[in-house]
Amino acid sequence: MKSRLLDIMDAQYLPKGDITESGRWFYTATQSRNITIGCGAKVELLIFDSDRFEADCDEECEATIDIRLEGGAELKLVHVITHDSVTLLNIDLRGDAQCRVTEVMLGASTLKVTSSLMGSNAHFDLNGLFVLVGEQRGSVEVDVNHLHAETTSRTLFKGVASGVARGKFSGMILVEPDAQRILAEQTSRNIVLNEAQILTEPQLEIYADDVKCSHGATVGQLDSDAILYMRQRGLSLEDAKRMQVEGFVSDVVMHAAIERLMEPLQGLLSEKFKQL
Amino acid sequence: MLKVENLHASVGEKDILRGINLTVKAGEVHAIMGPNGSGKSTLASVLAGNEKFTVTQGSVEFMGEDLLPMPIEERSRKGLFLGFQYPVEIPGVSMANFMKMAVNEQRKARGEEPLSAAEYLRMMKEKSAIVELDSKLTSRAVNEGFSGGEKKKNEIFQMAMLDPKLAILDETDSGLDIDALRIVATGVTRLHTNENATVVITHYQRLLDYIVPDYVHVLYKGRIIYTGDKTLALRLEKEGYDWLINNYEE
Repeated sequence: MKSRLLDIMDAQYLPKGDITESGRWFYTATQSRNITIGCGAKVELLIFDSDRFEADCDEECEATIDIRLEGGAELKLVHVITHDSVTLLNIDLRGDAQCRVTEVMLGASTLKVTSSLMGSNAHFDLNGLFVLVGEQRGSVEVDVNHLHAETTSRTLFKGVASGVARGKFSGMILVEPDAQRILAEQTSRNIVLNEAQILTEPQLEIYADDVKCSHGATVGQLDSDAILYMRQRGLSLEDAKRMQVEGFVSDVVMHAAIERLMEPLQGLLSEKFKQL
Repeated sequence: MLKVENLHASVGEKDILRGINLTVKAGEVHAIMGPNGSGKSTLASVLAGNEKFTVTQGSVEFMGEDLLPMPIEERSRKGLFLGFQYPVEIPGVSMANFMKMAVNEQRKARGEEPLSAAEYLRMMKEKSAIVELDSKLTSRAVNEGFSGGEKKKNEIFQMAMLDPKLAILDETDSGLDIDALRIVATGVTRLHTNENATVVITHYQRLLDYIVPDYVHVLYKGRIIYTGDKTLALRLEKEGYDWLINNYEE
């Protein structure tokens, strides 16, 4: 299924050095990288861990990816993690830069995304999901730092855990004292099945007064009325549960930053959901 | 087709059905009426296999088989359909995908091959026309953002897709405006054949102008206390339940 991602992405391997022109690239998330996207460049980037992940990996499968968007640059990033790993993703945005990220985390991994908005009219948008099954442990941290006035951000992260898996989401919106006229939103939605647990911690730290920030977090279980309804139409209990979970995360995939990756991402998820 | 004998069911400590007897044959339409809280919806839920209720006594035979040990989905695959009083919204699950899975499960149970995409689309188009369901709705999430009328039409659309032997329609007419009621009721009538049967649970005689029942039963305190023909519904509409209830002794 991952090769399908690559086929559909139809992109070149990301070269070393700055990206100054618009284009489409992919990169395997096994080594740390520094990526600068030059002024006004419009870039689509797929980062994923290859099937020869362990072989390609640096020690402990830990990678730091630093991305810097210069003024007016646009990045659409889809980041797929299927192996157990630690990834630090740092994204800095200068004025007028726009960044849309889709995170799909299907391994027992640790992911930390830090976005710093450093110039007016910069916008950071993140849709993400994690799925943990069996005895997997995973955690996601998303820190959005509004360091400059007139910046906006929106984060939606969905988590699913089944079996005895343990998941954690922590979110932080930080607004610096001089960063006025900020719009920031962070939402964490989670579903737990069986004995699994998900802990979610949304936090706000706001030092400016002219801001509009919101956060919300929920952890719930499958809707038993919906399960009953689906079974009444002939679906097995397992299919009904799976279908509901797929429905729960569907908006993350439907709004994938790179639209044509929607279908292979759906495929990856369907594979994973067989283990629920 | 359906033979219910001395059915008792409870939720927690509370007895709700207290000895139901009901026989439904192929080709028949039965209406079940009765005051609020008499157990009508519980009867529908128990027949569908809702695990919230516990059957404490009695038996139910459906198509010659013992219905009670079967899980919900098996009852459905054997041809029992429940039209929900409150159809459930399922965010993110498209109506078309959901129904495709349901139809193919039913086919699998009958030993038939799954439908091809083209066959399925044709079937959806044909069946949605029966209840004048906007084709846009089938590409939306199940019942999400549907109006009250659309939800009920959607129930009958699903009934048309699944072609059940026995359809139990739990207050399918509640919350419908006059036009929607006509469309839903006409749809049900069109789906009725000599091979299948329909049980409608309703508060209103109006629905029965379209779906003409062979029998009208009055459920009260968990028992069927009176059975008549279609004229009974007219009398109940005019006179209420008092004349029946006052004569009823436990």
